[in-house]
Amino acid sequence: MSEPRRQGAAVALAWILVGLPLAWGVWMTVRKAMMLFR
Amino acid sequence: MPGFLAKERSVAPPDYNRWLVPPAALAIHLCIGQAYAYSVFNLPLTREGGWTLAQVGWIFTLFFVVLGLSAALFGRWLERVGPRKAGVVAACCWGGGYLIAAAGARAHSLALIYLGNGVVGGCGLGLGYISPVSTLIKWFPDRRGMATGLAIMGFGGGAMIGAPLADLLMKHFQADGGTGVWQTFVTLGAVYFLAMMAGACLYRIPPDGWRPPGWTPGSQAKPLVTDRVVHVDRAWRTPQFWLLWAVLCLNVSAGIGVLGQASPMIQEVFKGRVAASAAAGFVGLLSLFNIAGRIGWASLSDRIGRRATYVVFFGFGMLLYAAVPLTGRMGSVPLFVASFCVILSMYGGGFATIPAYLADIFGAPFVGAIHGRLLTAWSTAGIIGPALVNYLRQFQIARGVAPAEAYNVTMFVMVGLLAVGLACNLAVRPVAESAYV
Repeated sequence: MSEPRRQGAAVALAWILVGLPLAWGVWMTVRKAMMLFR
Repeated sequence: MPGFLAKERSVAPPDYNRWLVPPAALAIHLCIGQAYAYSVFNLPLTREGGWTLAQVGWIFTLFFVVLGLSAALFGRWLERVGPRKAGVVAACCWGGGYLIAAAGARAHSLALIYLGNGVVGGCGLGLGYISPVSTLIKWFPDRRGMATGLAIMGFGGGAMIGAPLADLLMKHFQADGGTGVWQTFVTLGAVYFLAMMAGACLYRIPPDGWRPPGWTPGSQAKPLVTDRVVHVDRAWRTPQFWLLWAVLCLNVSAGIGVLGQASPMIQEVFKGRVAASAAAGFVGLLSLFNIAGRIGWASLSDRIGRRATYVVFFGFGMLLYAAVPLTGRMGSVPLFVASFCVILSMYGGGFATIPAYLADIFGAPFVGAIHGRLLTAWSTAGIIGPALVNYLRQFQIARGVAPAEAYNVTMFVMVGLLAVGLACNLAVRPVAESAYV
């Protein structure tokens, strides 16, 4: 694998690793926020 | 290991992909952002040790006082040793603080919890908060606002992860009997330590003279943006530093006071129409706008400039705060909610845009240390904002004002604070020639 492709894969992996917990936190907050509209 | 942490060892190769640096910063900010959600431990801690809510509440205050002090004290050290070593120390303090607090919770020692979470953890909070700032600004000279906005958005996001995660862990450990607090502290300490260490190890600083391909300094020349440098020891003695200190303090004071009182406020203003569960939803919605504002407004500031962005925060903020009593009188919940959502987005945006504003005025090399000293404004606002909202409400109710109307004067006081902030922002000029290195 060439260096730019290797780095591109590392960037994608790093963003997934921080993005997943953040997305979970946002989802939990969206669920909580939905109570305002019930 | 000490060699690996040395600043020289963290210099990136010339073809390094700069988009690896924001996730490293996010990893650290997502962990320390748990501080915002610490209230999730308040009730369990009162049951654990028989302490009052007021006693436990001091931990939250300590977080933000120590954050400001440690960021101010260690900012220069951070610039000298580089972000990697600072990130590792932040991980040790933040994770280790939870372990000390776990020992305190187990031994029913509130002093040990103050020491662990408040003092040691607070140092980790301060160092962790400022550790990526100058590195991101050096990697993204073309998009300073967006880069620091991404990291500081993580601080808001950390609370969104931390609150439900701590809740799940405490429920899990309650199966063994007890409140599950100390076991949750141990687990969170370990998880946060590992995640922050991973982030710190990923930090890379750009080689000297590195520039994004196709970008040249001055190609996006704007007023109030310098490519020269003011030393940190000189910067804090300039009027510009104190004007920006006031800008941050006043913007945060207004927002933080509202955030702390959002749930009782909407229930009192719309008595009988907004239940406690819906009020909790309102707080959740404000959190979402808070983090969206961090990345949104900071990115917009790259286009319209930092001063113009703060003009919007203060000018538009004044209009919205002044409109809140009217929305209450109209009985319009949607307008009330919408006003506060925009206000809270600008509160988050204020945090995220200030590092780029500092880099514009003082140059990038010492911005981490200068930002650290400026964060004392946050500590000050953390005391002023909630006190102002609480005491004004109590004062109004003591005068016989109905609870639904008790926030009106508070809103007009906020308008006054923002007017002072606007004046400070408009007074910012380039620093004197003699201040540059």
